[in-house]
Amino acid sequence: MKKLLTGNEAVAEGVIESGAEVVCGYPGTPSTEVILTLLPQKEELGIHIEWSTNEKVAFEIASGAAWAGKRTLVTMKMSGVNVAADSLASVAYSGCIGGLVVFVADDPGVSAGMPEEDSRYYAKSMVVPMLDLASQQECLDYVKLAFEISEKIGGPVFLRSTTDISHVASDVGIGKKLKLEKREAHFERDIAKYTKAGAAWCMAQHQDALNRLAEASKISDSYITESGIKVNETHFEDGSKQGVIYAGAVEGNFKEALKKYNLKISWLKIGMVHPLPEERIKKFLEKADRVLILEELDPLVEAEVIRVAYLLNKKAKILGKFDKTLSPVGSYSFKKIKNALEVLLKTKLESGQDSKILERTKELEVKRPTSFCIGCPHRGTYFALNKAIKNLKYKKDEIIITGDIGCTILGMNKPFESCWTEVAMGASIGLAQGFKWAGIKKPVIATIGDSTFFHAGIPPLINAVYQKVPLTVIILDNGWTAMTGFEENPGTINLNGATDTKRVDIVEICQGCGIEDIQIIDPYQSEKATAAIAKAIEYPGVSVIVSRRECALQVKRRKVKFPQRKVNIDKCTGCRICLSSLACPAMVFHPKDANRKAYMEITSACFGCGLCEFTCPTGAIEVIKDGK
Amino acid sequence: MENNFYLIGVGGQGVIRLGQIIADYGLKKGERVKFFKEVGMAQRGGPVHCEVRIGNVFGSRVPPLSSDITVVMELSEGLKSLEFIKPGGTVILNRKRIYPIDMMTQPEKYPQDEEITRLFEEANAKIIWIDAGKIASEAGLPIAENIVLLGALSLISSFDKEFVINILKKHIPRELDKNIAAFYAGYKTAEGIVK
Repeated sequence: MKKLLTGNEAVAEGVIESGAEVVCGYPGTPSTEVILTLLPQKEELGIHIEWSTNEKVAFEIASGAAWAGKRTLVTMKMSGVNVAADSLASVAYSGCIGGLVVFVADDPGVSAGMPEEDSRYYAKSMVVPMLDLASQQECLDYVKLAFEISEKIGGPVFLRSTTDISHVASDVGIGKKLKLEKREAHFERDIAKYTKAGAAWCMAQHQDALNRLAEASKISDSYITESGIKVNETHFEDGSKQGVIYAGAVEGNFKEALKKYNLKISWLKIGMVHPLPEERIKKFLEKADRVLILEELDPLVEAEVIRVAYLLNKKAKILGKFDKTLSPVGSYSFKKIKNALEVLLKTKLESGQDSKILERTKELEVKRPTSFCIGCPHRGTYFALNKAIKNLKYKKDEIIITGDIGCTILGMNKPFESCWTEVAMGASIGLAQGFKWAGIKKPVIATIGDSTFFHAGIPPLINAVYQKVPLTVIILDNGWTAMTGFEENPGTINLNGATDTKRVDIVEICQGCGIEDIQIIDPYQSEKATAAIAKAIEYPGVSVIVSRRECALQVKRRKVKFPQRKVNIDKCTGCRICLSSLACPAMVFHPKDANRKAYMEITSACFGCGLCEFTCPTGAIEVIKDGK
Repeated sequence: MENNFYLIGVGGQGVIRLGQIIADYGLKKGERVKFFKEVGMAQRGGPVHCEVRIGNVFGSRVPPLSSDITVVMELSEGLKSLEFIKPGGTVILNRKRIYPIDMMTQPEKYPQDEEITRLFEEANAKIIWIDAGKIASEAGLPIAENIVLLGALSLISSFDKEFVINILKKHIPRELDKNIAAFYAGYKTAEGIVK
């Protein structure tokens, strides 16, 4: 049977077919949908699935369960590996009993703004085998393979995806559900394996990890999956001295080009990118003297191929990133791969669309900057924050506001232009302290979302209290991990579907951290919110504002309705202050024409947050009562 | 066989849903399918586009000069599809302009219809103008612009009508009758134009 599945949905199917019993992770584009797909099936599958507070916690939970003999999978985006790295490196040395698979999704081409990090380096530095996904079918097949390898070698395995695999849907053949023997949880005490207290033990663990790598390489090199995919595959074209070595998502566009231009060249596909199949690369290089390396992001495979060529004393021409045929920046479109193949073959394959048409297209482009959704409570918080700064007689460009990850960072865009920085989960609070110690005299403000605060915002807050750094932290608590698709976090009150969890209150956390000045505001009550923020900025110690309103999109899902607003056209002067202060997508401006004056309209998309009422100098914005 | 569809508009118009239906059609016909979607951060108003490839295909993205049918749900966004249009391919242009906030005060900065038409003509596309908003309203469901365009696309691609309706039932169970009406209205409009 075939289903139309995205790569992440196919991974979820693979998890079910593999018999995993514990699945956890932290949301992050492009990895999120694996758990999003599995969560609704939690009861039916009878397994534990959770969104953990951060990736490190998620990985530790998965490790504990794997040490107790269960199959476990943990998911994260590449930035999440940075968070989990400390525990990951340690568990990688110890190894595991039950299968432990770490699913990480990189984002070449940056579909969600973060560094274009290449997580494959972690496989090298942590001595962990890594499978690199090249198609949606592999997403399903390789989960099973990763568990098999993990249990055979007794160590964790990385399963690495990229955006073009995770977010693209394809026809995927559904496999057989594995029939595993029932496993009782059991953990044997073995401090030489599970602790790091002693140089001899640590070095023995290091050697064990290296041995596991070699074994993983042996298993994968000749492996053919259930649906017939060879993990590593060599194809020799008779008489061809030109070849391509590739790994990962580039496969689709490369095979497309082979078909489209009817190319007859040799190629080597690498499915396990760490450790690389050295013998296979050697054999390939023996027959080819001009080789193009296709891999998104950094030249890891390429460096290894050059090393192998050196060992062979082979004068092959290696084309890739080192010679600038390709760039490590961005994802590899069909065009980029076609251009690289033209360099390999020293021939023009096809010219694209008329450049004049494309230039004109660029000139005419209509920019659509991202803003907050209609009814978003963050709009109210930034509106009040900017007003508070103004009321305190500060200029906007003299107050540093450090932003953080998630929807809250959209406060950097027009019309608010509040946030100055975005670094990493929780980093807004640490950075703000650095600005103060550097000697910034004016107030410094940090803004952070609820989930981001739980994830990594608490340690820097404790630091600020302990070091007595005067600082205002605004926690924009909309109750959800919203940016990635509305996942629950410890502060979520899930009225959309009850779950068996205990809520943790951000206010109580702040009190527990020693914050003495905490105010809870409602971002829709603009005047009160503005006054509270101004008071917090003037407080001499660490002050916290918890701006609390549930994500409007989640409220809308429950069909909760607030009174909508309308514009009284007689009173409206067409000044557009409402639009320029809030940039609410429910507003439309009608310019003056021969028959009418200029005026604003609030469309039926209005959520009813009521913020626009606070902006209108003529009181033209009114509540719609009884549909009028 | 290889069929490439490039669908583009802004958030809230149902571009992705349109792509899902086409991709599902390909799957149910037993073909290989690739369905790529680009969804911006904003729920509404940000650029959105998706690509569906059906048949003997490998890559997830339509290569340049390869889109057989392009559906432009919002005119200015549609210009981004020019690179991918196959010479002789069809472009369905929806008469719809959605102004970003800073352009509301300067609508003259928005590209003119004549210029848009000229560029698509220069790319050797067959152009079909459809006022999907008007047709959808007449069908009793103003938001069903994407389904009107699905109707037009189904005629041009010679899709099996009954088959598409069955897929509609699965994807859009709410207001099904009106959606089916919108589908047929789009189909007939395209028929009138192509003749």
